[in-house]
Amino acid sequence: MELPSRWVFLLFLLLSSAKAFGSEVDKEEFQEELLLKPLPDRKVLAHFHFETRAPPCNSNGLHHHHLFPKSISQMVEKFRVKEMELSFTQGRWNYERWGGFDTMSSNNAKPPGVELWAVFDVPKEQVDASWKNLTHTLSGIFCASINFLESSSMYSAPDWSFRQASGSLRYGMLPREAVCTENLTPWLKLLPCRDKAGISSLMDRPSIYTSLYYSQRLHLTSIASDLEGLNSGIVLEQTLTVVLHPSSQRTGLTHFSQSYLQPSWSLSSIFGRKVNGRCVLAKSSKVYLQLERGLVSQLKKSENYGADYIASEGYDGEANFELSVNPDRVIKEENSRNGISSSLLYEFSVDKYSNSKPFDLGLTWKFPVIWSCQQAPLHASRFLMGSGNERGAIAILLKSTDLNDSSLVANSAMDGCELRVNIFQVVPWYIRVYYHSLQLFVDDQLKAVGAFVEKIHVMPSKDKISPGMMEMVLKLPCGVKSAALTLDFDKGFLHIDEYPPDANQGFDIPSASIGFPDFHTSMLFPSNESERKSPMLSKFQESSPVLLYTEVLLVPLTTPDFSMPYNVITITCTVFALYFGSLLNVLRQRVGEKERLLKSKAAAKTGRLSDLLSRLSAKLRGRSQEPMQSASESSPLINSKLALKVLLMAALAVAWQYYFG
Amino acid sequence: MAEEISESPNDPPPETPPSPPSEPEFDSKTMRKTKPGLKRLFLTFTVLVSFLLGFPFLFKSVEIYRSPLPFHDIDILSNDVVSNPFLFPCHFQAIFVPSDPKSSSIDVNLDELELSIRSKITKLASKGIGSQCGACTNNFTLSLTLDYGDCTQSLSKFYKCGSIRAVDLDFSDNESVDEALESAGLDFGGKVYSVVVVVNGDGVEGVKVVVGKYRHAWIVGRDWGVEEVAERLAEIFVKVFVNGGREEGLIHGEFMPVGADGRIVLSFNLLNADPMDWTYDWDFQKIDETLLAPMIDVLGPIANISVESQVLYYTPKFTFSSWDEKLGGYTLSTKDLPFFVNSNEWHLDTSIAAGGRSKILQFVVYVPSAKECPLLLQLPNGEISKTNAFISPMWGGVMVWNPQSCSRDSDSELVRHILSPEDLQKVFEVFVGQFRQLFGLKSGSLHVGALDTYSLLASEKGFTEWELDFLSRQHTCFNIHSSTTTLGSLSKLVQSLPRMIIMDEIGKQVKFSLEAANLARSNASLGFYDASAVSSRQARSLAEDAFFHPSIMSVSYYSFEHCFAVYSPFFLPVSMHVLLAALREWRRYKQEKAKYLLWKAKGKVAS
Repeated sequence: MELPSRWVFLLFLLLSSAKAFGSEVDKEEFQEELLLKPLPDRKVLAHFHFETRAPPCNSNGLHHHHLFPKSISQMVEKFRVKEMELSFTQGRWNYERWGGFDTMSSNNAKPPGVELWAVFDVPKEQVDASWKNLTHTLSGIFCASINFLESSSMYSAPDWSFRQASGSLRYGMLPREAVCTENLTPWLKLLPCRDKAGISSLMDRPSIYTSLYYSQRLHLTSIASDLEGLNSGIVLEQTLTVVLHPSSQRTGLTHFSQSYLQPSWSLSSIFGRKVNGRCVLAKSSKVYLQLERGLVSQLKKSENYGADYIASEGYDGEANFELSVNPDRVIKEENSRNGISSSLLYEFSVDKYSNSKPFDLGLTWKFPVIWSCQQAPLHASRFLMGSGNERGAIAILLKSTDLNDSSLVANSAMDGCELRVNIFQVVPWYIRVYYHSLQLFVDDQLKAVGAFVEKIHVMPSKDKISPGMMEMVLKLPCGVKSAALTLDFDKGFLHIDEYPPDANQGFDIPSASIGFPDFHTSMLFPSNESERKSPMLSKFQESSPVLLYTEVLLVPLTTPDFSMPYNVITITCTVFALYFGSLLNVLRQRVGEKERLLKSKAAAKTGRLSDLLSRLSAKLRGRSQEPMQSASESSPLINSKLALKVLLMAALAVAWQYYFG
Repeated sequence: MAEEISESPNDPPPETPPSPPSEPEFDSKTMRKTKPGLKRLFLTFTVLVSFLLGFPFLFKSVEIYRSPLPFHDIDILSNDVVSNPFLFPCHFQAIFVPSDPKSSSIDVNLDELELSIRSKITKLASKGIGSQCGACTNNFTLSLTLDYGDCTQSLSKFYKCGSIRAVDLDFSDNESVDEALESAGLDFGGKVYSVVVVVNGDGVEGVKVVVGKYRHAWIVGRDWGVEEVAERLAEIFVKVFVNGGREEGLIHGEFMPVGADGRIVLSFNLLNADPMDWTYDWDFQKIDETLLAPMIDVLGPIANISVESQVLYYTPKFTFSSWDEKLGGYTLSTKDLPFFVNSNEWHLDTSIAAGGRSKILQFVVYVPSAKECPLLLQLPNGEISKTNAFISPMWGGVMVWNPQSCSRDSDSELVRHILSPEDLQKVFEVFVGQFRQLFGLKSGSLHVGALDTYSLLASEKGFTEWELDFLSRQHTCFNIHSSTTTLGSLSKLVQSLPRMIIMDEIGKQVKFSLEAANLARSNASLGFYDASAVSSRQARSLAEDAFFHPSIMSVSYYSFEHCFAVYSPFFLPVSMHVLLAALREWRRYKQEKAKYLLWKAKGKVAS
C-alpha cells in the first residue's frame, strides 16, 4: 500500500502538534495512594485513593485511551454525565468513634448499600431518560442491581439540599444491596494495573470483606472544554475505605499492660500482603500515615514535646510509637484555628520498593495513648415510633456532641449564634408521610416549626410514581442540647406483584443525610507542597461541608397471603354460582303441582314410612296434618313464604355486592 | 321476579281440582284442559339466551391487543425468495486492443469467441463456482469489442471506441495502467466489468494478467489461440469479478461479521503482557484518521462501522511457549492458538457505545513480556508465520508484535515507548488483511488461475471496487435471506401463541422490514448494488428488532389456562344450572302440550 508520502505527512502532523502544545500537552495520568490512620477504638482505617485523568481531547470527540478505562469514557460520552458518584457500602460508619468532623468522614462515610447520584449535561426533559440508561449501564459494569433505580419511584431530584445542580441532578439509593467481590472486581478492572501490582495488590478479599466498614466509591467529573461539552476531560476518582481490626501483635514490652496499649500493626498483619513495588503505570505511588489532631495533641502532652516537636519530627526512638520504615517526608498540617494541634502525615514513597524488597509499613506502640476524634456539631440518629401495621412515625434526633463547643461558638458567633442544619430525606411512596404533621422539639420542648425552619421543600409522594422527598434547612440556636423532628406516616398497600421475594423481612427507608453548611472541613498543607501535589491531599484541602448519614430504617408492612387472588376468585364465584342457581330454581318451581304429586304418591302407597315422613314434615312446618282437601287453601300461604325467601336471598345478594363489589 | 312468582300459582288451579264428573273420560295423568303455561319456559330460555349473548362480550373484554401482522405478505416474500433466487444483472465486456494498430491486425472471430466464453462461464457456474448466493452468473450480458482505433466492430454500448491506445500504456507499471484504464472510462454509463486484451504487447514475456483496483483487468501477451483467450476471460469474469477472488475453504458466507443491526464495532486493543518489562503505547488517533477512515467509508453500504481503541496492561497469554534454538525465539504452534486468548485477564470488554446487536470485532496487538520475547507463531509445517498473526472467525484477530530488542528496560526508569509509525503501518496492514479475511476475501495479492497466476492490485482503501461489489451482492442476498427467515419465525411464533400481546410497534417494524426487503429486491434486479445492500440491511435490522422486541420477550402474557382458572369457578356451576333448567322446562312443556292436545282431541271426538 502506498505509504511514504502519507507517513511523512503524518510525522509532520505529529511534530507540529507536539510543537503547538509544547509541554502543556496533557497526558492521561494515573496516581495511586493509600492512607492509613489509627483510630481511637483500636481500629485502623485504610483509605485507597486512585485517580485517573483523561485530558480533553483535541479532535472530534473520539476517545482513544491509553490508561483511562474505555467503558467509563464511553458512558460519560453517551449519557453526557457531568458528575457522578456511585458508592457500595457495607457496615455503618461509626461517627462517634471514627470521627465526624473531618474530610474522611464527610466524603467517604456513605450510607449502607448503594448510593448513586449523577448530574447530567442534557436538557431538562432528557435527564430522566439519561438517568435510566445510566443505571442500566452501571448495573452492567458493576454486576449490581443498580437498574432497580430506573423506576421513577426509586429516585428523586433534590433541588438544593444535597448539591446545587439546577434540576439536572438525580439521586437514588438501594439500602439493601449486598456488596461483595463481584462488585470489587469490575471496579478494579477500571485501574490500569488492576490488583496485579502496586498498592491495589494489598486488597486481599478475605481481609477487606471481614472489615467493620467497607465503602467502595467511584466519583467522576467531566470537565467540558468547549461550549457544546463534546470534548471533555474526565477525572475518575476511585476510593476504597475500610476499617480494619488489627489483631494485636505481641511486643517485647511488658511494663505496660497490653490491654491499655493500642494494638500494633503492619500492612502484612492487617491485609495479609505486602506491597511489591508500585504500579509502573502510576505517576506517583504513595502511602501516608495520618495521625489526627487529637492523637497528636495527646502525644504532645505525654511526651511534653512543646515547640521542638516539629523539629524532632516525631518518629525517633523517643516517641510513643515506632515505625518500621522511615518516612520520606513529614507533612504537618497548617492549622488555621489555634488552640488545636494540627495533624501529621508521614509520607512513604513506594517507588523504591520491589519484589525483592517489599514495602511493609508497621506501627508499634510503646506507651498507651487514649484520644478521641473530632465530632460533628450534632449527632444524628433516626428511628421509628408507633406500632402495628397501619401507621407510625419517623423521628430524627439531633443531639449536641458538646465536644466542639468552643469552635462552634467561634464559628457561628457572627451569625448571631445559629446552627444551620440541612436535612434531606427520601421516603418510598408506600410510606405515606403526612408532612403537615411535622413536629419539632427543641431541648425537649415542642416548638413551632416555622420559628426554626429557614427553608423547606417538600415533594409528597405519588403512589407508584415518585417517592416523597423532604429538603429542609433548620436554624437552631447554637446552645441547643437536642432537637427532634417527627413525621407521622401511614403504611400503604402494595400491589401483589410489587412485593420483593422476602416480603416478610420488611422494607428499608434509605438513610437521610444531615449536613452542616456552616461547617467545613479542610486540611491545609504548607503551600510548597503544591508542586508535588497528590490527588488525595488536594482532595483533603478542598473545603467540604460536614455531612453525615443516619441509619437505614426497617419498616414492616402487612404481607399478604400471595395465593389470595385465586382464593378470592374461587370463593366469590362459588357464592355467585350458588346464588344464581338457587334463584333460577326458585323461579321455575311449581309449588302446587309438587304437593299434588306428593299427595297422590301418598295415596298410592300409604306405606308406613312415607306416612311418617309426611307427618314429620307437616310437624316441621308447624301445622297440623291436614288431609288432602286443604291443598288449595294452603297455596297462598306457601306463596307468600316463598316470596319472603326470595326477598331474603336478594337482600343477601345486595349486601354481598355492597361489601365486596 | 317476585311478581311473576306470585302469579305463578294461578297456573295450576284449573288442573288441581278433581275433574268434574261431567266428562268421565278425562284422566288427569294423561290430559289437561288448559294450555300449558309459557312463563317458566320463557324465563329459563331468556336466561339461557342472555348468557349465550353475553359470551361474546366476555370474550371481547378479556381479549388481548394484537396488532395485525401481514402474515400473507411474509409468506409471499419467503416463497418468492426460495423459488426465484436473486438475479443480479452483470455486464461483462472484453476489449481487444492491438499494441500497434497500424502494423498488426488481430485475427479474431468475435462471434465464435463469444460463444466459447459463454459456454465456459456456464460450465464454471455449473461446477458451483460463482453460483452461490449473490452471484450473477445466471443473468449476465457479454459484449466483445475489437478496437482498431476506428470503431469498426463495436458491440458494446458501454465502451467508446478509440479510448484505449495500447501505445500509451506502460505495461511494466501496473498502477499507472490501472489509472489510465480508469480514466479511459470503460464503464461508461453503468457498472461493467471489463477486460482489456492487448495483443502482441511489447516488453512482456509470456502472458501477464493483472486485475486492477477498479472494475477492470488486462491481459497482455502474444501468440495465443481463441480457446486460451476464452478460458482466461471466463475465469476472470467468474472467479474474480463474480466470486470475489475467494477460494473455497475460506470463511463461509453465513459467517457475516456484521451485526444484526447492520453495525460493526472495530475494537483495537494493545495488550502489554507485563508492563514491568516494557510498556508500549500507540498513537491511535492518527491511524484512525489516515488508514481506517477511508476503509470505513467505502464499506459504508455494507455496514456502519465504528472504531474504538484501548491499551491494557498485565495481560499474559494463556498458553506456554517453548524456546526454539534454531529460530531464536519462543514458538507457539498452531494447535495452541485456541488457548492463546486469555479471557480471564484480557478485559477486552463489550462496547457501551455500540447498540445491543452490533457485531464487535476485537483486534489485539499482543506485546509479549521479556521472558517470552521474541514470540513466534509456528505453522504446522514448521515454518514461522510471516504476519505473526491469526484470526478467529466472528471474533476478530490477534497479532503478536515483538519489540525490536528483547532486553528489558532498566528497572529504575519507566519509559512508555510509542510504536513507531512504520511499525504501526505494518501492524495495520496485517489488520486490514485480517479484516478482509473475516469478510471472506483473500488477503494475498495473487490469484492462481487455471493457466497462469493473476496479480491483483490492492487498493489503499483496503477493498477494491469489484470486491466491494461482490460484498454488496453477497450481503444483500444474505440479509434478505436472514430477514425472511426471521419474519417467518416471528409469524410462526405469533400464530402459535394466540394470547400473546403484540404491540403496534412490532406491526410497524414488520411492515417496514417487508417494504425494505422488497425495495432491496427491486434494486438488486436493477443492478444498484449499494442501494440494495443498504435497504437489505435495513430489512434485516427491522426484522430482528421486531423479533427481539422487549414485549415479545416478556413472559407475562395472559394465557388461556389463566383465563380458564379465573372464570370457570363461576361459569361452570352457573351454566349447569341454566342448561339443566332450560332442558327440563322444555321437556315439561312438550309433555304438557301433548296432554293438552290429547284432551283437545278427546273433546273433539266427544263433541
